[in-house]
Amino acid sequence: MFDTDILLQDSREILGAVPVTLAMAFTTFVLSTIVGSLFALVEYRRIPVLRELVFAYKVVFKGVPMVIVIFLAYFGLPPALQFLLSSAGINFNAHETPNWVILVLAVTGCVAAFQAEIIKGALNAFDIGQSDAAYSLGYTSGQLFRRVLFPQVALTAIPDLTTSMMVIMKALSLGFAIEVVDIFAQSQLTAALNFYYLEAFVIAVVIYMVIAYIVTQIADRLEQALRVRT
Amino acid sequence: MLELKDIRLSYGSTQVLNGVNLSVKRGDVASIIGPSGTGKTTLLKCINYLAKPSSGTIAFDQIQMDYQHADKTAIQAIRLRTAMVFQQFNVFKNMTVIQNVMDPLVVVQRKSREEAREIALRELERVGLSSKQDSYPSQLSGGQLQRTGIARALAVRPDVMLFDEPTSSLDPELVGEVLKVIKDVTSSGITSLLVTHEMQFAKSISNRIIFMDRGVVAADGSPTEIFDSPSSLRLAQFLNSEHSLQ
Repeated sequence: MFDTDILLQDSREILGAVPVTLAMAFTTFVLSTIVGSLFALVEYRRIPVLRELVFAYKVVFKGVPMVIVIFLAYFGLPPALQFLLSSAGINFNAHETPNWVILVLAVTGCVAAFQAEIIKGALNAFDIGQSDAAYSLGYTSGQLFRRVLFPQVALTAIPDLTTSMMVIMKALSLGFAIEVVDIFAQSQLTAALNFYYLEAFVIAVVIYMVIAYIVTQIADRLEQALRVRT
Repeated sequence: MLELKDIRLSYGSTQVLNGVNLSVKRGDVASIIGPSGTGKTTLLKCINYLAKPSSGTIAFDQIQMDYQHADKTAIQAIRLRTAMVFQQFNVFKNMTVIQNVMDPLVVVQRKSREEAREIALRELERVGLSSKQDSYPSQLSGGQLQRTGIARALAVRPDVMLFDEPTSSLDPELVGEVLKVIKDVTSSGITSLLVTHEMQFAKSISNRIIFMDRGVVAADGSPTEIFDSPSSLRLAQFLNSEHSLQ
């Protein structure tokens, strides 16, 4: 059914998009985890005003389809950035912002809302009696965070954060709409030239599956290494 | 060495502490007893500022503080000289038994790992947990968790030990092993404050019994005075009800 030559040739082309896709996914993952953690801390510490803002943010970014956020960012972000920079007196052409940067920012914006929920859940699962114990022994809040809270919260959050990594990988394929070439977009382009659509997409599926497998394996190992033995 | 004056604290509209006065002398082993909800635990937590009184003063040797102007330096100084054993154990779940005992020594007291380890091993021996030193909290019984908590508290060499209902969340058959360790600790001469519902135990280890009722110290005296000739009807009623439970 499949032509081996075509499969090999297509694979080479589509694999070429893997490093870019992974780099974007990883950047998005790191940024959204940082932003999500800050949101979660705002909610966990019940910081007034900011807390309401985070809540509103989450409603918007969890509710609006990601592809719309990407389009809004594509059309809205450069002019907004241009306006801000020029009113701050900085001479910079924001209209030349690469599309992949816009994609990363848009997906980060959406995924951060979900990361915030994951981390908030992990924070809520933390037994706060341990904080009392640490303070009673003279720990500062920084020491408590580093030695006790962070290791436990990170461990609780790992499985769900891994899922986020896969969600991000897949969300990046929406970048096709704004001409960012990831694994999916590359398969589309390759197939458009030689009309072997089935081959191209099967290759894409295999690549996505291999990446999913590797990511899951890494997360499992990491979790096991950190796991409090039971 | 420790003097609390006119401590007041409320949670929302509930007044928990209503002007408590308490002074503890070096070497005292004082048990705080009283009905549930009278602020025994809260009072203990005021000492190391885990509970934040709205007014009152504390004097701990040279350290003085007015709770209305709580200052970090004084709080930290008091925390470094006290150690608390909790009803819910509160051992660090991401650390083994020995790491739990070593961590405050390394992180707070800046001791070398070797020295911390030596101290930890000695304290674990004292509470009978040497064989469990590399176990994680999830692998331990309540009694073992509490003995870890006690070893961790002892290791920092506190001037005052604060025991907050250390056996209240233990299965009955595990209470004995913990009481034995506490008895050993208090008889070593370390100043101790113990909130407890174990009346017989309080009587046997303490040189002082403090009866708290409705947010104030309602009676304060030697075990004989408190248990054998209760000075008030409330105290007599309380002892009676506790007695009938046991």
